[in-house]
Amino acid sequence: MHGRLKVKSTAQQEEQKRQEREKKLKIFVAVRDACFSKRKEGIWDDEALKLTQQVLSSNPDFATLWNYRKEILMHQETVKEKDEVQTIYGAELSFLESCLQTNPKSYGSWYHRGWVSSRMPKPDWARELTLCDRCLSLDERNFHCWDYRRMVVKMSGVSVDQELAFTDRLIGSNFSNYSSWHYRSTLLPLLHPESPEPPSPCLKPAQTSPPPSPQTHSHRVCEEQLLKEYELVQNAFFTDPNDQSAWFYYRWLLGRAEREDMISCVYVSRDEERVAVAFSRPVNAQSVGLLLVLDGQPQRVEWRSVHPRFKHSPLWICDLPPGTISDISYEHNLTVHWTEKHIHRDCALYTGRTESYCRDSAMDQELFRSELSVEKTSVLQSELQSCNQLQELEPLNKWCSLTIILLMRALDPLGYEKEMLAHFQTLREVDSMRSAYYSDLCSKFMIENTILKMEYAEVRVFSISDKNLTTLCHLDQLLLVTHINLSSNQLQRLPPQFAMLQCLEVLEADNNSIENLEGLYHLPKLEEVLLKNNKISTLADLQPLASCPKLKRLDLRGNPVTQIANVESELAELLPAVKDLLL
Amino acid sequence: MAAEELPSEFDVVILGTGLVESVVAAACSRVGQRVLHLDRRSYYAANWASFTFNGLLTWIQQHHESQSEEVQDRSSLLEEGEELIYLCNSDSASISNLQTHDFVQSQAPHTDGEEPETAQPQPPTAPSQSEPVRKKISYTHLVKEGRRFNIDLVSKLMFSRGSLVDLLIKSNVSRYAEFKNITRILTYRNGNTEQVPCSRADVFASRQLSVVEKRKLMRFLTSCVEETEEQQVYNGRPYLEFLRDQHLGDNLQHFLLHSIAMVTEDTPTEVGLTSTRHFLRSLGRYGNTPFLFPVYGLGEIPQCFCRMCAVFGGIYCLRHSVQCLLVDKNTNRCKGVIDSRGQRISCSHFVVEDGFVSAERKKVATPPRSISRAVLITDASILPSDSDQQVSMVTVPPIAAGSPSVTMVELCSATMTCAPGTYLVHLTCQSVGSAHEDLSPVVTRMFHTSESHDQDERPSVLWCLYFNMADGSAAQVEGHDLPSNVHMCSGPDGGLGHEHAITQAQSIFDKILPQEDFCPPAPNPEDIIYTEEETKKEGVEEEEEKETTKEGEEEEEEKTNEEEKETKKEKEEEEEETKPLKEE
Repeated sequence: MHGRLKVKSTAQQEEQKRQEREKKLKIFVAVRDACFSKRKEGIWDDEALKLTQQVLSSNPDFATLWNYRKEILMHQETVKEKDEVQTIYGAELSFLESCLQTNPKSYGSWYHRGWVSSRMPKPDWARELTLCDRCLSLDERNFHCWDYRRMVVKMSGVSVDQELAFTDRLIGSNFSNYSSWHYRSTLLPLLHPESPEPPSPCLKPAQTSPPPSPQTHSHRVCEEQLLKEYELVQNAFFTDPNDQSAWFYYRWLLGRAEREDMISCVYVSRDEERVAVAFSRPVNAQSVGLLLVLDGQPQRVEWRSVHPRFKHSPLWICDLPPGTISDISYEHNLTVHWTEKHIHRDCALYTGRTESYCRDSAMDQELFRSELSVEKTSVLQSELQSCNQLQELEPLNKWCSLTIILLMRALDPLGYEKEMLAHFQTLREVDSMRSAYYSDLCSKFMIENTILKMEYAEVRVFSISDKNLTTLCHLDQLLLVTHINLSSNQLQRLPPQFAMLQCLEVLEADNNSIENLEGLYHLPKLEEVLLKNNKISTLADLQPLASCPKLKRLDLRGNPVTQIANVESELAELLPAVKDLLL
Repeated sequence: MAAEELPSEFDVVILGTGLVESVVAAACSRVGQRVLHLDRRSYYAANWASFTFNGLLTWIQQHHESQSEEVQDRSSLLEEGEELIYLCNSDSASISNLQTHDFVQSQAPHTDGEEPETAQPQPPTAPSQSEPVRKKISYTHLVKEGRRFNIDLVSKLMFSRGSLVDLLIKSNVSRYAEFKNITRILTYRNGNTEQVPCSRADVFASRQLSVVEKRKLMRFLTSCVEETEEQQVYNGRPYLEFLRDQHLGDNLQHFLLHSIAMVTEDTPTEVGLTSTRHFLRSLGRYGNTPFLFPVYGLGEIPQCFCRMCAVFGGIYCLRHSVQCLLVDKNTNRCKGVIDSRGQRISCSHFVVEDGFVSAERKKVATPPRSISRAVLITDASILPSDSDQQVSMVTVPPIAAGSPSVTMVELCSATMTCAPGTYLVHLTCQSVGSAHEDLSPVVTRMFHTSESHDQDERPSVLWCLYFNMADGSAAQVEGHDLPSNVHMCSGPDGGLGHEHAITQAQSIFDKILPQEDFCPPAPNPEDIIYTEEETKKEGVEEEEEKETTKEGEEEEEEKTNEEEKETKKEKEEEEEETKPLKEE
């Protein structure tokens, strides 16, 4: 039904239709009212069946009447013999068939069919399956039918490999079919599950770990089958690289399981008497049972996210009771327990130190490969080769370029950086409607690369100037950064997540288009903010800075805000602590 | 038969029931012309006919016997200012080099005792082709099952967007027939039969092509639909050269040249591209290949048009010919005809199959061209697959330098052209030598004939027929020594489609009735008012109209629709004995 032109009919036909419609409407309304009044009186007789049938056959999406019909049928069940009930339900099914013929995408009809089939004393599942197959052969994208079919398959216990063969058949006749590819992705893990991994030496205690939930673990497929699937899907996208369904399936195949839950970092600062905890995913610390133990003593602390806007956050902070760790001559041992997951992380604050942290680095976590699975490098390498081959043939195909980027990132994010940027450039050109999306994605990957570089260099300086950044992300990974350089990019704002940079002392963000500083919120160590040549235009935009207690130096040259009358005195009032103000 | 007289006045008299004549008949009758349609033969469709096995044997026999009827002098019927042009009586000149081979009978000494058993009716489902030992099918069995065969004299396919399909749809003649898709395109290459991937689904599923080849093929197929400047550079140069320069591998070049464009290595690029586009345009309209085949054989098509003609009042007589034309000496126009019984029938136009026009009056290409044909009945498909009901089009490139490229069509029993368990194979090529010389090398290579012994994977030929047929495209449309209102129709041409015949029919119609629409959609059967039917029917020898019309109505109620052909398959199978419009 997709892509068909609608044809206008002539005025005369219109008029004729209108009259017919009016006539029909009169009858429809009369019968509908009769149905309603019968239902009100609680009559569940054959005539009610007939009346509802009359209405429903012209409008099968009348949910109330389907419900009335269900009541009638359930009543009949109680008063009639089993054989008779079977016949009644049989008739109901053939009535539904006629409804589906008039509207094969009627929610009501399909739902009712499911209800009837499940109540029938002796359901004929084989027949239902044939009906579905016939429907799908007429329109392979009828998702109502796909839904109903799933139910039939479940009830009749069709084997998984039969179902896989069914998707083979559908894909064979026309592979532009999201439903079939998706169905495959649910069947394959059942049929060819990945062999269980040896327990990884991670922080979670093995014996108490909960059974793997289907969402996180069972959706991987064994490698042998994966290779076959790669071949199949390659055939599809080489045949028609503009068909996105195959590419999406390919991405699913390349994707890997979600990262396991963990506490990735614990940071403690003596000056602020504050603890910050970073998690592998956003959590709500108030509800996950977070417990802080200091020197063997559980502490009553109040966890808060870095910005009031976040209910879920990968980073949570708490203030210790005043005086608990402020004496620099004492050593303290901290443990943060994530009781819900039986995970904990320790951190020791030695004598003479003003701060301390304990963490897994981004490299250890293979954090940024999470887009793709950690298959053997050789497999990914050969996939990259075929995609490159396709790209040579189809240099303007966006799906191909995008997939190449993902494969390169899985293989060697830093080594392929230059090529990746070239592919992004192509993408922005061939798919200009989505150039902003590509810029954001490119920014994300560039930030990932910079984080990796920073970790290799084992420094706490994050420098990413002049890289055409349009957005900031992975800010939870920058918890420990003291100095950030974002100069000469295309950033428009410092988002609330920026407040996760709890150790930040110097912010360089000259030559951007920043107009919003929301993220400079309660940054305890921030001393210097350089915002030359940005787009900050009102004093209100600078309001968040007032929450940063140590801010001393602020460069606002080249911002519209400097044109405001009395800006100097206003700023002195707003930010009394700032000694060094450049306007 | 009682010598009832025909009406003596018609608008158009047509002699010969081949495709062109039948289309002209239907077109004229449809717009209200009084049409008399005659054929000297006892069957419809002339050289376009389909025969049962036994019918074909009779046809062969007739061609072996010389048939010369004495020419009666009709000059007594002449009126003032008229002269006569005598027509040929025999049309057998168009068929030559008839030769049959019967491989099952030659094995008779071995199988004599078993024959009654093997002649037992086969189980309704054909034996699986993968069985190592295939059941031997005897000649007796073929004769016994003879009525299940519908063997075409010509082998053609209908392009889904070709002029014949368009005409069938436009005129509603399609309701008189049913069609099946050709299910696969095959090619013979390096001694193997391979499937040619031509649709998107085929390309996706193909196991012979690498992914890169798939991409190249799909790209070529999508790109060549549009005319580009790059293509024009190659005008006049061979298509093969163009294909090479597109960096298509040997595999793809073979598929594109022989199976999709269906041209030869030296065909110029512009011609190759045109036929490639024709192929691609037809793809996907009704299925995964661009071709349709009429159930019960190609002979159905001319008969469908005859039926349309009859529904609109045309009168039909078989075994009834025209002996001579009456020509007005002054105007040099045909005033009428004298039929084989000596009746004078006046008409404004006379349409005639070229076989009835004597050679000295015709202008044909020199040397005369002909088509080589072979018909095989085999016991297995040349490329066994999951389904034993495949309908395959096979292109066989020249197997040696100088030999012709051969088009082969393998029909299964589901097309109602052969008995269950057998396959009907048609081979066609432009003649280089006799049909046997041209085609037997291909047959012996691809099939197991009795000359080759022992266990053989290849299908066995049970029976085969070779013959040559005059190439209809050799006859010129203009320049014959005939009155201007006499229109000559050529017989079947060697091409795969029906373009030549339909174009010719339309141009004849346009000459007869320049102002009229060619085959406008027929109204619904219930809207047609039959009035003078009864009066017309009187006095018509071998009248078929009544039967025709009645059957027509029945058929029409069945809502025959091209697109619904699949759903009608089962019905068809039940009704296989009742074939509309068959002489028997």
